Amino acid sequence: MAFTRRLYCGSASILLAAVFGGCSSDSATGTKPFTGTPLSIIGHGQTTARYTAELWTRGNIAYTSTWGQRSATAVGNAVHIWDVAGNTPVMVDSLIVELATTLGDIQVSDDGKLLVVATERSNGSIVVYDLTNPVKPTRLTRFQTANTASGVHTAEVARVNGTLYAFLSIDPQVGQVAHLVIVDLSDPRNPREVLVRNMGNPFVHDVFVRDGLLFTALWNDGVTIWDIGGGGKGGTPANPVQIGNVRTASWSPAVGGSEAHNVWWFQDQPGGANAKRFMFVGEEAPGNGSLLNSSNGDIHVVDLSDMSAPREVAFYHVDGAGTHNFSVDEQRGILYAAYYNAGVRAIDVRGDLATCTADQKSSDGRCDLRKMGRELAAGLGNGQSFIWGVHFDGNFVYASDMLTGIWKLAAASRPTS
Amino acid sequence: MEAHDSIRASFGLRAQVIALATRVDPGFANRSFTEGYLAQPLIMAHGSALGGHVAGIVTLDFEGLTLDRGQLNPGAYGEGYADRRHPHTYLHEAMVVSSGAFARLGVSLAAGKGFVPFGTDDPMTRPFAAYPVNHHLAQILERYVAIAAVSAGLVMVEGAVFNGDEPVSPGAPPDASRFGDSWAVRATVTPHSVVEVEGSFASVTSPEIATGGGRDQRKWSVGARLAQPRWFLQDALVEWARTDELVGKLKVSEFTSFLAEGSTTLGGTTVSARFENTTRPEEERLLDPFRFSRNPTDLGIIGITRWHIGTVAVSTPLPSRRADIAPFVEVAYAHPSEEVTPSAFVPRDFYGTTSIWSASVGIRLGVGTMVHRMGRYGVAVPNAVRNVMPDHHDH
Repeated sequence: MAFTRRLYCGSASILLAAVFGGCSSDSATGTKPFTGTPLSIIGHGQTTARYTAELWTRGNIAYTSTWGQRSATAVGNAVHIWDVAGNTPVMVDSLIVELATTLGDIQVSDDGKLLVVATERSNGSIVVYDLTNPVKPTRLTRFQTANTASGVHTAEVARVNGTLYAFLSIDPQVGQVAHLVIVDLSDPRNPREVLVRNMGNPFVHDVFVRDGLLFTALWNDGVTIWDIGGGGKGGTPANPVQIGNVRTASWSPAVGGSEAHNVWWFQDQPGGANAKRFMFVGEEAPGNGSLLNSSNGDIHVVDLSDMSAPREVAFYHVDGAGTHNFSVDEQRGILYAAYYNAGVRAIDVRGDLATCTADQKSSDGRCDLRKMGRELAAGLGNGQSFIWGVHFDGNFVYASDMLTGIWKLAAASRPTS
Repeated sequence: MEAHDSIRASFGLRAQVIALATRVDPGFANRSFTEGYLAQPLIMAHGSALGGHVAGIVTLDFEGLTLDRGQLNPGAYGEGYADRRHPHTYLHEAMVVSSGAFARLGVSLAAGKGFVPFGTDDPMTRPFAAYPVNHHLAQILERYVAIAAVSAGLVMVEGAVFNGDEPVSPGAPPDASRFGDSWAVRATVTPHSVVEVEGSFASVTSPEIATGGGRDQRKWSVGARLAQPRWFLQDALVEWARTDELVGKLKVSEFTSFLAEGSTTLGGTTVSARFENTTRPEEERLLDPFRFSRNPTDLGIIGITRWHIGTVAVSTPLPSRRADIAPFVEVAYAHPSEEVTPSAFVPRDFYGTTSIWSASVGIRLGVGTMVHRMGRYGVAVPNAVRNVMPDHHDH
């Protein structure tokens, strides 16, 4: 049978294949097996009715969003609520967001009082829930304006000078370019739009907010740093003032754009010269096929010693896979990265990431974190998972798997040396 | 100087429409759908002056009024629609063509909104009411386009620049600021008056994200067409098309199509058959499951589906001195399967089956004269003066 298929698809049968065949059918792109320390799996909360998307945890509760359309009747309109106190996450309830097909992003506010869920595609909005009872969120409002209607791809919730805001990255759609919407959540029942600004090429994909600085991932336009209250340039959430921009490299020179997807400004807890020096930028690149089949894209390390002129100094690459979202254990200096078909990777990010030996550099002079021995551990890269997001909660690492639900992993350890 | 333009009449006007009822089983989730439409309601006008050296072509398409929800058409996709054919823009074509001859060369320049010289003839001019899946692989239309064409003997070569953005709605014009970001070339050979062979290539910038920055396309097409009835065939077309999608210069997806179709006449009845094997991209569906997101997820797609489709149509033109009237019945069987695995779009899960039947009953109506061959302009029209619309006759 296999011989027959090879013959059919062989060069002598190109015409027949073109007429009738499906001979070019691809299978999942393989990644090189990780041979280092595995991330120990503690438990698996399984759900396969819908595709799982982003996750957030607080205390013993985890929330996972859902994405796309897994079958004719199962669309990404559910938030699953998990009890993660035990080894195995247990789904205790679900929320259904009406008139939604993708809930791409989900986050709990820093005080634990609010859950914010983004709805993408048509009817773009954020839905705000009260978490007085964390396993029974109660809806406060659904915030939707003409500026959000084309789809909220990500919604980050962060506090700026004491005020809670949601930063909404809005998809480009017919008649609208991508734009950032900032919403004041001081009164969560009545969110107030304070900024609408076009940005991104073609997307503004995600943001990171810390200490009054806003970092926007602008795809081919790289990452821009804005003062929104902590940068000393008079910026506010209603009027961000640009500080700097960096166009990170691409995993492949042929791509030609940064594909800047997400950002984390690392603040290493022990302090020191490198404590606030580095920013990590995730690059999301299409795989050679389709989602669930393959992925591409590197983690880029940017030196922020001069915020007005940030520059890329290092990177981390996995053959045959691409990164998605991050979560950083800043106490231990370990970055956890969702890596789609390559599972979860744990990387040592403490210390000077910009200095390495000649052997540890790529041809363009950037340091290669793998060659620097900073790859600590990996997990779930078994070909049966497709990891969207990770969340480190102080003790454990949780990973959302588009195919099967949520995984609970043991945190990685730092090298003993 | 000899006129080479296809339009020799000083003025011509034609109106046509297809009234039909279609049943698809299943449309999705094992649900069947039965709907009725006025499809392809067109008014086509052409005129020429200066002995045919200058010509104008206008085609108005009112599908934006009659087909806003799209026409049930398993496998069809594009411009935000999935498994429904999208309506075309109201101003389908508006071209000015100048033609002339120098020595033994025919030369023409055409500009306006219309067809890009790429691929084969538009499905609207062919014998089936249902579009093939490969429409967006095998034709490029409704763009601001400037075309230069040269003919010499049996060979015609066209080159064009145009805007890459696909129409965003029936009433929306192309983005004029993007004119020139895409280009195409097509060569056509007519070894004799019966057969035409074309080969073409197009480079299309960000067709799906109108504001730019989306995936680009490199497109190839090879087709052979029966230009006149011959043997037992009234018409026939065989084509192969391929579209590569790129991020920057990096190829990320490939879609291919093979299509063969032909018609014959049996005692006054036209019997047409079509076979198609085409792959299509899958993107996130919206609340309306017949709609795709027009913003590819992070420049990626969620799956590739291979469509094998067989279609048979039977049409019987009725005698009439004032109009073309042709009742028809059309039946198609489609088999979709995922081309890459694992895939975030699994046809069996979405449709509930991998066997999809569709049937249409309707009537084609047309009045007036049409001698311009839709999608070709100036000296790029092989065997210039003839009737090219299916089931239409010069009056």
